[in-house]
Amino acid sequence: MTAIVAAVRAPIVANRRLIAAVTFVAFGLIDILIFGLFSHKGDATFAFSLFGAKVTVPSLHVPARPVTYALGIASVLIGVARATVTESKLLKRLSIAAVLLFFVLAMLLWSDTGSWADGIPINVITLMQGTLAASIPLILGALAGCMGERSGVINIAIEGQLLLGAFTAAVVASAVGVLWLGLLSGSLAGGLIGAMLALFAIRFLVDQIILGVVINLLISGLTGYLYDRLLVPDANTYNNASTFSTVKIPVLGDIPVIGPIFFDSTIFLYITYAAIILVQVGLFSTRWGLRVRAVGEHPSAADTVGINVLGIRYRNLILGGMLAGIGGAYLTIGSVGTFSKDMSSGLGYIALAAMIFGRWTPLGATLAALLFGFTTALGSFLGSITVPISPFILGMAPYVATIIAVAGLVGRVRAPAADGKPYLRE
Amino acid sequence: MRKVITIVAASSALLLLAACGSSSPSSSPSTSKSPSTAGKFLGCMVTDTGGIDDRSFNASSWEGMQEAQAADPSKITVKYLQSSSSADYAPNITAFLGEKCGIIVTVGYLMASATGTAATANPNSKFAIVDCSIGSASCPISASGKPSTPPKNVDSLVFDTVQDGFLGGYLAAGMTKTGKVATFGGEKIPTVTIYMDGFWDGVQYYNSQHHTHVDVLGWSEKTQSGEFTNSFTNLTMGQTITQQFISEGADIIFPVAGGVGLGAAKAVEDADNAAGSQKVNMMWVDTDGCISAPQYCKYFITSVEKGIQAAVKHAVLTAENHTFTGGTYIGTLANGGVTLAPFHDFASKVPASLQAELNTLKQEIISGKIKPATKSPV
Repeated sequence: MTAIVAAVRAPIVANRRLIAAVTFVAFGLIDILIFGLFSHKGDATFAFSLFGAKVTVPSLHVPARPVTYALGIASVLIGVARATVTESKLLKRLSIAAVLLFFVLAMLLWSDTGSWADGIPINVITLMQGTLAASIPLILGALAGCMGERSGVINIAIEGQLLLGAFTAAVVASAVGVLWLGLLSGSLAGGLIGAMLALFAIRFLVDQIILGVVINLLISGLTGYLYDRLLVPDANTYNNASTFSTVKIPVLGDIPVIGPIFFDSTIFLYITYAAIILVQVGLFSTRWGLRVRAVGEHPSAADTVGINVLGIRYRNLILGGMLAGIGGAYLTIGSVGTFSKDMSSGLGYIALAAMIFGRWTPLGATLAALLFGFTTALGSFLGSITVPISPFILGMAPYVATIIAVAGLVGRVRAPAADGKPYLRE
Repeated sequence: MRKVITIVAASSALLLLAACGSSSPSSSPSTSKSPSTAGKFLGCMVTDTGGIDDRSFNASSWEGMQEAQAADPSKITVKYLQSSSSADYAPNITAFLGEKCGIIVTVGYLMASATGTAATANPNSKFAIVDCSIGSASCPISASGKPSTPPKNVDSLVFDTVQDGFLGGYLAAGMTKTGKVATFGGEKIPTVTIYMDGFWDGVQYYNSQHHTHVDVLGWSEKTQSGEFTNSFTNLTMGQTITQQFISEGADIIFPVAGGVGLGAAKAVEDADNAAGSQKVNMMWVDTDGCISAPQYCKYFITSVEKGIQAAVKHAVLTAENHTFTGGTYIGTLANGGVTLAPFHDFASKVPASLQAELNTLKQEIISGKIKPATKSPV
């Protein structure tokens, strides 16, 4: 039996090694042949200070062509090493990350030296701030997904939770005039959908996928209707919220480069940090987490030892919904202040994907969401300097990058065993 | 058994609720207040999925309908049906055909196929379609995308927004202090990029006239590449992109993305609040921003408008008084179909010399002396 498995596995391993090596070399060749050969003379500039900042960090000037060639050659060498040497798992992952990083750098060097760029520097701080701004709702949504699925209930309704959170936060903050109440009610709105999801999935055993989709449609219709009937006619009262201002963390916020990116933001970023840590530590290092995972993997065994299976599922879906509701509130009172129809724009589905790509772990989901956010911010930088790449390609880049990175870095993923299966006592 | 019934009841209640929420406007078409519509001319409109309150072209079209009714309330009455998805286009048109509408106005080039098919099948009914030159390569009736002869009973209402986009670009180039202006689009579709082309052309023209070097971030008419949110709903994306532009030194932003422009306006407001003075400003698109987004009026130098309202009103009135001819109406600077909105708060800030130049420029575009280039012609 083992012999058969080994015999079948051997060519697969060899194939995988070859595919990886060829891909690396291909990336290296693109670096050299496209970004290197077509790069223009001169230096690309990386700026590390915001426009008009008081304390400035000197910009970095990088000679585009030689560095691009070096990056390409390095990628090719990594590919050759992958094909010839047996590498440890860590080394394999590092090499994928390095090849992707080199590719992004080569692309940036090429794009910033083009005639279209007009000497606009690559502002690292803006790029990273854009990454985080795009990632916050994805991370919070993905955490909501983790909470639900780790306990065995699939949550497709993240999209609806974001949307209702955004709507409620905007309306309450606008009508009452207290931002914190907006945040709280947005969070509660997300929790309410979580409770609804739990009720129908657990009590009435409705198919969880269909249920989630129906809830999303329901929320889209409901908020759209209320938007037309309430928010548009009386925009000043109901759809004119202020937004949270940025809070600079003392000391940490003054660190050059790092400070403005990570420690000079709205409360939402700090909530996101806390949520990631809480859910990660909670799920994997506490008794509560152990119970949740037991319920998600083998509910009848958990039940036998006296764990309240349904109670845990209810609680997790509601708590998760509250996190997603905060993510939704970010879309209005954390950024633009006004609600508009369907403004969650499919972010909830991307959050769901980030959770799966992150192997149902909070940290993994966060990394996947950050990768997505980074590619979005990168596309936005490249678009702003009118790089001659089709806007359609730039638009799909976040999805492609996520797929490649996940296929390379994550590999096979396994959902919690009881995910999506309602629990009925025998 | 009881359980099954509960489940069915609960799920159908949920579905019912969902259905109510999304489609209740479409199931209750709004009619005029007059109780009797018999014998009156009936003007009918099918909205796009954006709905009647989209602050953009559906809203403008409906205002045009209402203006037509207001022009002669004793003879004309108007109503609309809302489309919840593209699958509603054809059924909504069919419903109106059954009601003997004097004219059916469809909104948006996505409805080209449904409108073209209905018009060919019902040659005695009159139609008008907004933002689409029906049967042309940019707005084909057939799924294959091939141009065809437009049906004679359709009035195509299109707008040469490259002309007022050009004026907007020229104005922006004249107003920038940093030498950088920026634009971005919602999606890369012709009705969006034609504005961006005009804006880009206008800046280049200013540079050639004044020997300046004002950069346009976010779009190039030559390469047709640039910045898009790839969504007309993601306001946060519009905000992030605008922050990107501001960090690169742009001080005038021109979003061509409908409501997503509100995200841009928020970013402009934040940047100005942080700077302590009004350093960054913007332009609105399609409608007069000081009317559709008054809270941000003080940041709007002007708006690059598209006169959908007037065109729709005209189409309805001609159908009513039997002067309807079909064919294509092109909104231009000459006929007032496209225009720059009033400067509002900027009336005193735009130098008189620049205002005079804009007037001259407008005349030169009308006379054909200047032809703004675009790769998305109407």
